[in-house]
Amino acid sequence: MTLAVPLSPTVPVPTPAPRPPQATAGRIPGSKAMWVGIFCEITEFALLFAVFFIARAHHPEAFQAGPERLSLLAGTGYTLMLLTSGWCVARALHAMRRGDRRATVRWMLAGFVFGLGYPAIKIFELQRNFALGLDGSAGVFIVSYYYLTFTHLVHVFWGLLGMMWVIARTGLGAYTPEEHSGLEAFACYWHVTDMIWLMIFPLFYLLG
Amino acid sequence: MSPERKIDLAWLMLVLLSVGGAGIARSDANAVLVAVGVSLVMAIKLRLVCNYFLELHEAHPRIRRAVLAFCHGMPILVILTTAFGDTLSSLTGALLG
Repeated sequence: MTLAVPLSPTVPVPTPAPRPPQATAGRIPGSKAMWVGIFCEITEFALLFAVFFIARAHHPEAFQAGPERLSLLAGTGYTLMLLTSGWCVARALHAMRRGDRRATVRWMLAGFVFGLGYPAIKIFELQRNFALGLDGSAGVFIVSYYYLTFTHLVHVFWGLLGMMWVIARTGLGAYTPEEHSGLEAFACYWHVTDMIWLMIFPLFYLLG
Repeated sequence: MSPERKIDLAWLMLVLLSVGGAGIARSDANAVLVAVGVSLVMAIKLRLVCNYFLELHEAHPRIRRAVLAFCHGMPILVILTTAFGDTLSSLTGALLG
């Protein structure tokens, strides 16, 4: 059964009853398929982090001096963009749960704009890095940095594509307060991608 | 407090911790102390995302445990590899030949 949600803000929106804790505890948020994908992503980054730690142990001087070669402003910018995008997606999910489709679309669009900030900053940072000679031949720290951050950038691109799909489906009324597992599955992926950045950021931009 | 307000506050805390974490890293303290400080900030941020954005407390226990192991393991590894980098280097050097 599909619950039609009116688009006009003047029409009262039905508010679903709060979800009882016993109905939500222990469930699989989103979908099983998405969690298989998320655990693949976690495994991939766990391996890359292992390589990072081993390289850091073998070349402590290169990793000690590394963060000063990168732009802390860019690193902080990525972090703020992804955190704010994640916040918008979390608010979109709550807006959907209370049946406010217009607010869901608005929050998702805001999340998409902040998410786009990540590749936008990446372009500026790469221009700066290449101008300073920080390319693939600039040592083990920079190679590790490009390897991990480009892999993460690919995951952000998947997320942005997924976000466009979820925005379109929300706009078309595919999700309801009772059934919005697609939106929730996307939100889980986006938050985990955000969490992985929260690990990458201190490794390359903060720790000497 | 409504769930939306909690999410807003979590986001504000995350932003403040991100800026504060950068300040800790740029201090002149001992490398292990800096690693402990940065790891602590990382752990708090990851926990905030898990609790308020990902709503991990509602998830199946296996999902919850696996994600929390990843989130708790990473800051611990940062401290251990900073404090015992030489040991890790000799161990992996022996394994890799």
